[in-house]
Amino acid sequence: MIGNDIVDLEQAAIDSNWKRKGYLDKIFNNEEQFMITSGICSSLMVWLLWSMKESAYKIYSREIKIREFAPLKLKCNNLIIYKDKATGNVFYENEVYYTESFFDKNYVHTIASTKQEELERVEIKITDQTPPDYKMTNPNSVSHHGAYLALVYL
Amino acid sequence: MDRADLIERLTPIIATYAQDKDAVASINETTDFIKDLRINSANLVDVILDVEEEFDIEIDNLSMERMLNVTAAIEIIEDKLKTK
Repeated sequence: MIGNDIVDLEQAAIDSNWKRKGYLDKIFNNEEQFMITSGICSSLMVWLLWSMKESAYKIYSREIKIREFAPLKLKCNNLIIYKDKATGNVFYENEVYYTESFFDKNYVHTIASTKQEELERVEIKITDQTPPDYKMTNPNSVSHHGAYLALVYL
Repeated sequence: MDRADLIERLTPIIATYAQDKDAVASINETTDFIKDLRINSANLVDVILDVEEEFDIEIDNLSMERMLNVTAAIEIIEDKLKTK
């Protein structure tokens, strides 16, 4: 199963003040906070880690049919950042999710799967125009935020 | 403090982050933060921080996990106010 999450960076900057007192402590563990505060692109790192957690959570909540808001239970690990992409793992409830993220100045997009090879097979469509009939194309995972719609097909 | 008072103090906090403003007008105990009010999950943290400030309580991680609707929020606030 595939999960995906897109963050419109402009929208996120309007909607969320992650520098607010207590905000990071509710979402990120010490290691994750260290990654955020020790780099130069703190804001991008916040949303990269967030989208990793969200994409993994979407798989879990669909499989287990349980909803919860437990960002601290989703632990980002083994993050490797390249020029415009990143790979990593998210640990959650004894399960490992593999993640692959892409980012530019407009958005961060992450796909997650319990099977690493699945990430290589997917087709990703990201658009800033929501086609009215996109559900007819049967995407495996849909994420919508701000101006962007991300569709993932397996 | 009875439940009606709690909802009255909770409503402006929730309204700040709700994308569905019509749903805010009809907030009741069954209202779901994400499904009904379409609060962005990144803003759920703001709801929790605002509730902590408004009621001068601390919401632990376990409580936060289930704070996805008005009923749960009220139960958590009542519980934390009792043990304050």
